Amino acid sequence: MAIEGAEIIKAASFLGAGLAMGLGAIGPGIGEGMAAAKACEAIGKNPNEAGLLTRTMLVGQAVSESTGIYSLVIALLLLFVVS
Amino acid sequence: MENLGSVHQLIVPLFGHNMVFNLEVIVMTWLVIFFLLFFGYLAARRKARLPEPIQATGELFISQLYSLTEDALGEDLAKRYSPMICGLFMFLLLSNWFGIFPLFEEPTKDLNTPLSLGLMGFFIAHYLGVKTKGIKKYTKAYFEPIFIMMPLNLIGELAKVVSISFRLFGNIMGGAIIILVVSHLTYSILFPPVLNAFFGLFVGTIQAFVFTMLTVVYISVQVK
Amino acid sequence: MEIDIQTWAKVAAYTGAGIAMGCGAVGAAIGEGYTAAQANFAISRNPEASGDIFKSMLVGQAIAESASIFALVIAMILLFSNFSGATTIAISTFLAAGLCMGLGAIGSGVGSGFPAGAACVGMARQPAMSGRLTTNMLIGSAVCQTPAIFALVTSFILLFTNFSDRPLSPTWAAIIGAGLASGLGAVGSGLGGGLVAETSCEGSARHPDTAPASTNLMLLGQAVTQTTAIYGLLISFILMFKQFPASDSLAPAMALLSAGLCMGIGAIGPGIGEGFTARSAVQYISRNPRAVAELTRTMLVGQAVAESTGIYALVISLVLIFVI
Repeated sequence: MAIEGAEIIKAASFLGAGLAMGLGAIGPGIGEGMAAAKACEAIGKNPNEAGLLTRTMLVGQAVSESTGIYSLVIALLLLFVVS
Repeated sequence: MENLGSVHQLIVPLFGHNMVFNLEVIVMTWLVIFFLLFFGYLAARRKARLPEPIQATGELFISQLYSLTEDALGEDLAKRYSPMICGLFMFLLLSNWFGIFPLFEEPTKDLNTPLSLGLMGFFIAHYLGVKTKGIKKYTKAYFEPIFIMMPLNLIGELAKVVSISFRLFGNIMGGAIIILVVSHLTYSILFPPVLNAFFGLFVGTIQAFVFTMLTVVYISVQVK
Repeated sequence: MEIDIQTWAKVAAYTGAGIAMGCGAVGAAIGEGYTAAQANFAISRNPEASGDIFKSMLVGQAIAESASIFALVIAMILLFSNFSGATTIAISTFLAAGLCMGLGAIGSGVGSGFPAGAACVGMARQPAMSGRLTTNMLIGSAVCQTPAIFALVTSFILLFTNFSDRPLSPTWAAIIGAGLASGLGAVGSGLGGGLVAETSCEGSARHPDTAPASTNLMLLGQAVTQTTAIYGLLISFILMFKQFPASDSLAPAMALLSAGLCMGIGAIGPGIGEGFTARSAVQYISRNPRAVAELTRTMLVGQAVAESTGIYALVISLVLIFVI
């Protein structure tokens, strides 16, 4: 079975897409979890501010999720544009 | 085992494209709607001062979800949108529980159902965002913190729809496949009731609540 | 030198057994060591309760060990299976089963050590609560073991299903991908579930009257923490039971392998992160029991958002399997 160059590039881009999204999910996953953890602690200390704290948590998580979204974009580019 | 994930489809050719109807999902969705309407009829039939169990259940749903919506959106919007939120929660709850009955399937097992509900929440959130903040302030939010972040902010908004709908789909589909495979492996001894209780009732309830809460939260982020 | 298929199958099976037992021992060893350390600390604080603490240490370690016992079972099956009828596809099956169980035992082993350690320290603080603490620890560690059980189920399916009628070329990658998805996916959830159970035991000992609320929230938090492991199991079931068309080229095989890898690695981070969230929620429910509704709601929303990157990994995996 002879493997051509184009075939190798395609295979590598699939593998790269999987790795990009997989590895890219680790950091935001842990980081967003920590943000939510601190929000829970703050609500435990001061339940009256629950609404404000939840909103702050969501904004913080949305920002820290952006690296995960970059991974998603790169993975989709590798899957549909490059190969 | 071979027909894992296959559905009965009705394919209608239309102007060179195919319109695909997943028959089971449509039937099951209408069954859920029918049951909910029947429940609503029973709960609201006699508005007694001392409620019967079924009226009390209905009131429990409505009051709990109203207070949840009010916490996030404020009183004005909550009055208008809590019926929608309440309906969404009850629909998802019954849909996720549907698979525990023999011969029935969860409508949420098909990606189309969660995706359309997610899109509904998305459009409501952005409509309210434009309406309360004005088109100028709404558009400006996409150019924060600097203008080159615009495409990524847009993708971030779209990714919310993906994550909310795939979360429900993945959990319900995962549960259904795990129940099928494990029951097959153990010759349906002992495990299916336990698995159904966990994936159908417990995970189904949690995911229905999470979907509803996230819809409320996405609306509140746009409004505030 | 010509090597026949049986020899290659043996090579794969023995390598798989080594990986299964080697990786599988890491987690349990760390978890049990942590438990023992905490037990020593607890006995030094309260020597009178040493009997109870010693008992609970042994019970906790026995549970933490069950993950590595699963690995031992798989390694034994791999070592003593019948190689005479082995086909080419069996090579990847043996390797995948070993990888799956070995990786899957890491998280649960470490995770189960945390509640056991916290229960020992809690007994030193409140010897009267030892019954309640033991129950709480048993429930928490048992739920912690679920991801390892997922990996065990996948390994058993891999070992006892006949894949020989499938086309070799993409199926080998699908099988290894299935092993990786289930195995790696169990790491984060096992660890996260352990973090949750630890604070539940600690909180029950500090504030005994909030113990029921703390146990309930622990179970809820652990259930949500496990969803990423369920995604891993879902992807590995799809990879094992879907029939893929035969193809000689490398690209489809790589797509399937990458789908498994993507879901497996992608499940680690959200699993740990959701564990952190639930841990704080459980911790503060025992300090401030009146905030139960707010804490539960914030925990669920926070976990759901933390999970979204895991869902992106699920989406990419599904695209790699069904679209490419």
